[in-house]
Amino acid sequence: MSEERPSSERHGERDSQLSAMFDGELSGAECELLARRLARDESLRGQWSRYSLIGAAVRAERGVRLDDRVARKVLSAIAQEPSYGDLPAGEAAAARSAAADSVTSTARVNAYERWLRFARPVVGASIAAGVAAVSIMWLRTQDDTAPALLASEAAPVTESIVLEPEPASTALVLTAQADPEPISNGEPERYSTPAPSSQTSIAPPARFANYVVAHSEYSGPLTRRMALLGIVGADAQSDGADAPQAETAPQAERARPADARTGGADGR
Amino acid sequence: MPAPGVLMGAEARGLRWYERRSRVATFAALSLLLGAGAAMGAEPKEWLERMNKALTTRNYVGVFTHVRGTRAETLRIIHRVRGRDVSERLLSLDGSGREFVREGDEITCYLPDKKTVLVERSAPDGPLLGALPAFDDGDSLVYEIRGGERQRLLGRTTRLVALHPRDEYRYGYRLWIDEQTSMPLKTQLCDKAGNVIEQILFSSIDLPERIPDSMFKPLVDASDYRWLRAERTLANNNASSALWEAMRLPPGFRMTTRSSQAMPGSKEPVAHLVFTDGVASVSVFVEPRKPDTQPAEGPARVGSSSAFSTVVDDHQVTAIGEVPPNTVQFIATQVKSTSKSSTTRGLGIAPQRPNK
Repeated sequence: MSEERPSSERHGERDSQLSAMFDGELSGAECELLARRLARDESLRGQWSRYSLIGAAVRAERGVRLDDRVARKVLSAIAQEPSYGDLPAGEAAAARSAAADSVTSTARVNAYERWLRFARPVVGASIAAGVAAVSIMWLRTQDDTAPALLASEAAPVTESIVLEPEPASTALVLTAQADPEPISNGEPERYSTPAPSSQTSIAPPARFANYVVAHSEYSGPLTRRMALLGIVGADAQSDGADAPQAETAPQAERARPADARTGGADGR
Repeated sequence: MPAPGVLMGAEARGLRWYERRSRVATFAALSLLLGAGAAMGAEPKEWLERMNKALTTRNYVGVFTHVRGTRAETLRIIHRVRGRDVSERLLSLDGSGREFVREGDEITCYLPDKKTVLVERSAPDGPLLGALPAFDDGDSLVYEIRGGERQRLLGRTTRLVALHPRDEYRYGYRLWIDEQTSMPLKTQLCDKAGNVIEQILFSSIDLPERIPDSMFKPLVDASDYRWLRAERTLANNNASSALWEAMRLPPGFRMTTRSSQAMPGSKEPVAHLVFTDGVASVSVFVEPRKPDTQPAEGPARVGSSSAFSTVVDDHQVTAIGEVPPNTVQFIATQVKSTSKSSTTRGLGIAPQRPNK
C-alpha cells in the first residue's frame, strides 16, 4: 500500500505538493487535501513557512516587485479577514478583485480560496511570518519610487537610496556642489589634517599613480576607495602642480620618454 | 485518512519543482538569514563583513563628497560585478577631471592635467573579488571594534561601527552602514585620538540590476594624450634570485602577497610586496634604480595615502598605504634583499608565498 512507503518518500511527496501549490500548479481538490494535511502535520506547516520566506527572499534578491500570485492572494485574503473562518461573501469578492489583475483562471482563484479556508486556522502564524517577509520586500521596493540618479543610464534600477539633503532635480544632483559641512549626528567631529613634515615631498602624479593603482588592487574594500582618491581627487592634481620637485621622485618619467611612449601611441 | 492517490497525481511535477527550487533554496535561506541577522542586531564585526560584501559584490552608482581639511570635492563611483568580472569607474565631478576606469583586467587612469593616460593590468591574484577580508581575532588585537547601534543619517537607518586603532601605526574608521543595503553611507578616517582626518559622505546611491558599458566610458577625449602602458611580458622575465623581505613589521601586520608587477613606462618588472593588518594595507615596490635619475628618498603623501621612499642595494624602494606616515617609513626601511645577487641588475622575485 502506498501508506507503507518510507517516511522520506512520503515527506518528499508532501514537499512536492506544497511546492506545486506555491507555483499555482495544484488543482482545487489537491489544495483542499493538502490543507487538511497541513492541519495535522506540524513539519509540513514548518515547510510552508520556509517556502514563504524563501520565496520572499528569492524575489528580493532578484529585485522584482511584489507580484507573486500566491503571495498577493494570501495577503489580500488575510488583510480582509477579521477572524479565522470562512470569508464573508463581500470580502471574498474583494479578495478576488484584488487578485484578478494577475490571475487569469477563475477556477484557480477559487481553488486558492478554498485552500485558504482550510489552511488559515492552522497556519496563521506561518502566514504572518510570510507576510512579514513580503512586507519587508515591499518596503524595499517602495524606496524605488523616488527619482533615481542616472536612471536613464542605469535602468533598470533595483534599489535607489535617495538621501534627504539631495536636491530633488536629477540635474541638480549631478552638478551641485556638495555641502562641505556634512550633516552631523550630534557626535563631535574634530578635524585634524596631519601636519606635513618639513621634509615631506608631494608625490609625483604619474609615477605614484602607478603605485597607487597597483596597491589598490590589494586594498580591502574599505580602504580601496581611499587609495584611489589619491590619484583622482583634487588633492592629487594640485599637489602635483604645486610641487616642482615632484618629478624627481622616485623616478622621473622624463628619464625614458621614448620608452614610455612605446606601445601607447596607438591610444586605446 | 488522506487520499494519497490524488496527491500522487502531482508527484512528478512536484518533484521537478522541488529539485529546481532546492538549488536556490540554500542561497535564499542564507540571504534570509543574513537579512534576519541585520534586522535582529548583528555584531559590529558582522556589519563590517556585510559592508565589505556589499562593496565588493553589488552593482552601485553613487555620488559622494570627499572632505579633507577645508577642502571638499564631489566624485562619482560606478561599480559593476558580472560574475568574476569587475568594472569600476571613479571620477571627479568638480575637480581635476581625472578618472580611474577598470574594465575586466585593464585599469586605465586618465590624467587630463598631465595629458597622460596610464594603463595597467590588474593583478591576476588580486583579492578584488575573490577573497573578502574577514575580521579575525588577530585584527582585534590592533583594532577595537565598537558600536553597532542604530543612527539616523540622511533619512536612512544606519549602524554606526567604529574601528579604533590600538596604536599609532594605523588609522581608525567610523562607518555609518545602511541597515538595508549594508552600503557605507558615511566613512570617517580618524587618527588614534579620534580626530577626523577626512571623510566620505554619499549624497546618493543607486543599486542597479544592470549597468551599461557606456557608463564606463571616460568623459575626457584622450586621443592626443601620452599613453603609458604596462607591458605584459615583463612580469616573468626575471632570472635573478633576489628576494625582498621586510625584516620587521609594525604590530599586527603580515605579508600576504609577493608578486611581480609590470608598470606603465617601465621595462623592468617591479617587485610588489603587500602587507596588511586585516583592514589597512601597505604595498612595497622595489625596482632597480635608474642611473640617469635622482633617487627618491623620504616621505610623501598621495591623497589619503602615505608613502616613503628609500634606496636599498641600488634599488628604489617605495612603501605606500592608507596608514600614518610612520608606518610606511617603518616598513620601507625594513625591506632588505635576502640574496647577495640582488646587487646585479634586474629583480628576482620569488613565487608568491604568503607569510602570515
